[in-house]
Amino acid sequence: MADALLDRRLVVVTGKGGTGKSTLSAALALAASRRGKKTLVCEVTVKERVADFFGRPPSGTQIRELSPNLYSVHVRPREAMREYALMTLKYETLYKIAFENPAARYFLTAAPSLAEIVMLGKVWWHASQEMERGRLRWDLVVLDAPATGHGLTFLTVPEVFLRLVQDGPLARDMRGMQALLADPQRCSVGVVTLPEEMPANEAVDLDRALRGHGFPAGPLFLNGYVASRFSQPEVLATTRGGPLLVAAGEAADNHEARAALSTHYQQVLREALPRPLVPVPFLYERTFGVHAIEKVAHAIEGAL
Amino acid sequence: MRDDRIPEGAPQDSLPGEGVGLDQALQGRRVVCCVGSGGVGKTTTAAALALRAAMDGKRALVLTIDPARRLANSLGLKEMGNEETRISPSLFEKAGLTPRGEMWAMMLDLKHTWDDLVRRQAGSAQQAQAILDNQLYQTLSTAMAGSLEYMAMEKVYEVYNSGRYDVVVLDTPPTSNALDFLHASDRILDVLDNNAMRIVLGPMLRAGKFGFKLLAAPSGLVLRTLARFTGSDFLRDLAGFMMAFEGMYEGFKDRAAKVKTLLMSRNAAFVLVTGPNALTIQEAVFFHEALQKDGIGTAAVIVNRVQRDPRRHGGPDNLPALKEALQLAQIKDEGAPPLSERLCQTLTEQAALVDLEQREIERLRERLRGVPLFVVPRLRKDVHDLAGLWQIDRTLGGE
Repeated sequence: MADALLDRRLVVVTGKGGTGKSTLSAALALAASRRGKKTLVCEVTVKERVADFFGRPPSGTQIRELSPNLYSVHVRPREAMREYALMTLKYETLYKIAFENPAARYFLTAAPSLAEIVMLGKVWWHASQEMERGRLRWDLVVLDAPATGHGLTFLTVPEVFLRLVQDGPLARDMRGMQALLADPQRCSVGVVTLPEEMPANEAVDLDRALRGHGFPAGPLFLNGYVASRFSQPEVLATTRGGPLLVAAGEAADNHEARAALSTHYQQVLREALPRPLVPVPFLYERTFGVHAIEKVAHAIEGAL
Repeated sequence: MRDDRIPEGAPQDSLPGEGVGLDQALQGRRVVCCVGSGGVGKTTTAAALALRAAMDGKRALVLTIDPARRLANSLGLKEMGNEETRISPSLFEKAGLTPRGEMWAMMLDLKHTWDDLVRRQAGSAQQAQAILDNQLYQTLSTAMAGSLEYMAMEKVYEVYNSGRYDVVVLDTPPTSNALDFLHASDRILDVLDNNAMRIVLGPMLRAGKFGFKLLAAPSGLVLRTLARFTGSDFLRDLAGFMMAFEGMYEGFKDRAAKVKTLLMSRNAAFVLVTGPNALTIQEAVFFHEALQKDGIGTAAVIVNRVQRDPRRHGGPDNLPALKEALQLAQIKDEGAPPLSERLCQTLTEQAALVDLEQREIERLRERLRGVPLFVVPRLRKDVHDLAGLWQIDRTLGGE
C-alpha cells in the first residue's frame, strides 16, 4: 500500500495545527525518494520547515534539493502571483502595467482568496509540469497543506472560485486542480492527528468534510503514538515496589497512561473513520533532524 | 508598554515578573486573551482561568471558538448561535466546588457574528439583505483568513461593553501567524474600505456611486489585464460586493479602532499559552515579540503538559541496579524483553524528554525575561470537566 500511496501524483497532508503535518510530509517524501521517485514537497504555510529537518537552509521560492531525489519549495502568495501572472500574460511589460500599479498591487493583496488561488495554482502547475515526451517533471508532489479550517478552505478554493468564475486562465487551471484533487488514481488526501481528544475529534470532522467535497481519502496518521509496554500487574508491582523502585514505577505508570490514551483514540478513530490508520511512534529525540524524519518514514513504510 | 508592577516585599534586584502569582498578574484585567499556536491547550487554559475567576467571586465568561466536545458537553454548552450559557451550579456541586461568583461560557459562531455585524452596521434592512445574499460575502464571512480572528475580537468587545461580566476570557483561534491575529481587523478593513480596490474596479462600478475621483483611476487597461488573469466574473462579483457595502466602511472602521484600543489598554491582558516542545516555544516567542511590536506586554506565560521528572525520587536508573532493586522487592524480572530492561528504557526515554522540555522552558524564560511563567504538569487523562479544570487551576497556584 505504501507503493499505491506513493504512486499517486499528488499527496496532500492536512490535519489540526501542531499534529505534525510537516513531519509527515517530509517523511512521506523521503520514503518516496528512496524508492527512486523524484519528489517535490510544496509548503504553503507561513513558515517553511521541511528544509530545516534535513539540515538545509530554507528553500524559499526556489526549488532546492534536500537529499537525493528529494526537493522542496516554499509557495508564497506574492511570488506565486508574479510567476503565475507572467506565465499567463506572457509579456513582462503587460505584467508591470497591471500588477505593479500601486493600486492594483494593493487590490491583489486584499482581494479575498486570490492568494490561496494562486498558491494552489502553483502547486497544480508543479504536479502537472511535463518534460520532453510527456514525461512528468515530478513523480510525486507532496503538499504540506494548512491546518484543518484553513486547509479545507484551501482545498475547496477551486470549487468556490469556479462557482463564481467560468472564464480566464485561472478558471482553467482551477478546473485542472479540481479534477486532480478529485481523482483517486492520481491524488490522495492524508490526515494527521494525535491521540488526544481535540485532534481526534477534529480528524473525524475533517474526514467527513473532505469526503463531502469528494476528495480521495488517504491514510490517517496517528502521530505521537505510544505502544503499551507493561502489563497492569507489572505496573502495580513496580509502583508498590518500595523506595528503590519509586522512580521506575512512576515512569512505567506515566508510560502506560500515555499508551492508554493512544489505544483509546486509535480505537475511536478506527471505528469512526474508514481510512487505513498508520500509528507513528512518539519520538524521544533530542533534536528533530533527518534522523527523526527517517524514523517516521520507516514507521510509515512498515505500517503501509 | 505596560509595566507589571513589582509586588510589595519582592527583593529589589528581582525582575518585575519573578515571584508574581497568576492572580496578581491578571489583577484588574477585564479581558484576558489566551494566545498561542494550535494544540497547546488554549481552550482548556481559557476555561480554567474563567473557573478560577468564578471561584474567586467574579462573574466570568469564557468565549471559546472550538472547544473539545467532551468539555463542551460536560459544561452543558450548546453548539451554535452565540448563546451565553451559565455553567449550572449543580455541575459545580458535582465537582465538589463552591464558586463565590458565576461562570459563563459561549461558543463563537462565526457566520452568526458576521451576519449580526452586517445587520447592525447596514443602513437599511434591504442593504443588509443584499450583502447577506452576495455570494462573495458568503465565502468571505466563513472562509476568509483573518475572519475568525476579527469576529472573536468583535464579540469580546460586545460582551465587554455589555457590562454583564467582571472578566471575559477569550480562547483565540489557532493562528499560525501571530500577525494574522493582531492585524485581522486591518486585513478585513482593507477589503471593505479599500480605495485601491475601488480605483481598480472603478470602470466596473457605476460612475459617481462612490464619489471617488476618476482622475485617480488607472486606465481600463489595468482592469482588462487583471481580468485576463482572474477572469472578469471575479472582478464583477467583487465590484458587486464593494457596492453592497457602500456607506458602511466608517462604521466598521470605527468599531475596529475601538476594539484595538480596548486590547491595548490596561483593561486587557494577553496570556501566552504554549507546550514544552521546541516548535511551540519558538512560536510562543514569536507571538511575544509580535505583541511587543504593537506595544502590548505579555501578562503571563503558561506552559502546558510538562512531563514530571521521575528521577526526582532518586533510585536506580541503570540496568544492573534496576535488576537488583526488582530482586529486593521480590518482583519477577520476566517478559520479553525482561521487565528490568523495559523499565530502564522507559526511565531513559522519560529522562530525555524531561531534559529536553526543561531546556526549552529555560530558553523561554530567558527570552521572556520578566514575564511570570507557570508550568502545568502533564495530567494522566484529558481534561474534560470542572474537576479537571480545577486541577489545572491548583497547579497554577493558590486555591
